[in-house]
Amino acid sequence: MQHAPVSGAGFGAIIVLFGLLAFAGHGNEFLKQVVLAPGSSAELGIAPDCRADELDEENLTVLECQLLVSNVQMQLASSPHWFRIVQLLLSGVGMVAALGSLLVGFAFVHNRLPMIKSGIACFGLLLALDLIGLIGAASTGPLLRAQYLWPLFLWLNIHLCLLLANWHYVRGDSLEQNN
Amino acid sequence: MVKPSNSHAILQMVLHWTLAAAILFLFVSSWWMLSLPLPSDDHTYRVVPFQLHKNIGITLLLIILVMICLRWVRRLQQNAAARSALQTLADIDQWLIYALVAACCSSGYLSSSYSGWNTEFWWLIQLPAWARENDGLNILFSDLHQWSCWLLLLAIVLHIAAAIYHGLRDDALLPKMFP
Repeated sequence: MQHAPVSGAGFGAIIVLFGLLAFAGHGNEFLKQVVLAPGSSAELGIAPDCRADELDEENLTVLECQLLVSNVQMQLASSPHWFRIVQLLLSGVGMVAALGSLLVGFAFVHNRLPMIKSGIACFGLLLALDLIGLIGAASTGPLLRAQYLWPLFLWLNIHLCLLLANWHYVRGDSLEQNN
Repeated sequence: MVKPSNSHAILQMVLHWTLAAAILFLFVSSWWMLSLPLPSDDHTYRVVPFQLHKNIGITLLLIILVMICLRWVRRLQQNAAARSALQTLADIDQWLIYALVAACCSSGYLSSSYSGWNTEFWWLIQLPAWARENDGLNILFSDLHQWSCWLLLLAIVLHIAAAIYHGLRDDALLPKMFP
């Protein structure tokens, strides 16, 4: 059976797309952990200020306005003491690794083999970050597990696929050069 | 490998990828930050994310203006060769994205101006208050911001689909926009 050749440019475009999405996701997680600091107003139980004009502007009911504060309380109350610093570290390194994966994607488009080879390390790092994040989230309570586990599991699978495809591409190219 | 022929092309690429990363981050972070408690003297969770959102948005508006100028200059340099239907469609998509980014950013900034909130550009330059607080205009521009952003997301999805299509076809178009 004849197989269609793998398009390096097509694969590169897909890597860049996932790299941009991963960068945005990690960046948002970093921002989230910076903003939701322990000991802040929601954790102190300060009631929300649900003014009619603000509710109208945001298209919210009074109950929803109150739940916005509860949402932060939930996040803070269900985070173990180590969770915030681990998430800050993972998302900080994740942003850098995601930007690195963009360079790998660009290298695929232009068929720059040395950079393509470094993609194995880059996707390995992203996969490791997903795995650590998954283990970390699995060690928290049900509220954070419900929020984090599924997206992390999806990213773990995406990075695993990209790692294997990258490895396969490099191996195929090496075999071709040897022949 | 197609190399950028001049500094314009390199600058266009850098701006393009900065724009891509920033827009995706803005989408993800805006979906999250609207779940934060409404602003009050006690609950200040929204201050940093909203200011960052505005900073990036205003920067994107400046980037888009530079990109439009660059594109216009390049167009003047190019021969008026006949363009295929697909190229014309790509041009329309490109201009649509530029117009929608400009609409998103300017409507968001105007909404913020009419809400009475100050804008300190990158926490360095206090932008003058262009307008007095006006709830009606704030809601109008907020709605325009929301709808133009949804349309932008749709245009971006089409743009990504087109990029992957060209990548999988390996038709040498992709390397022009991938550094």
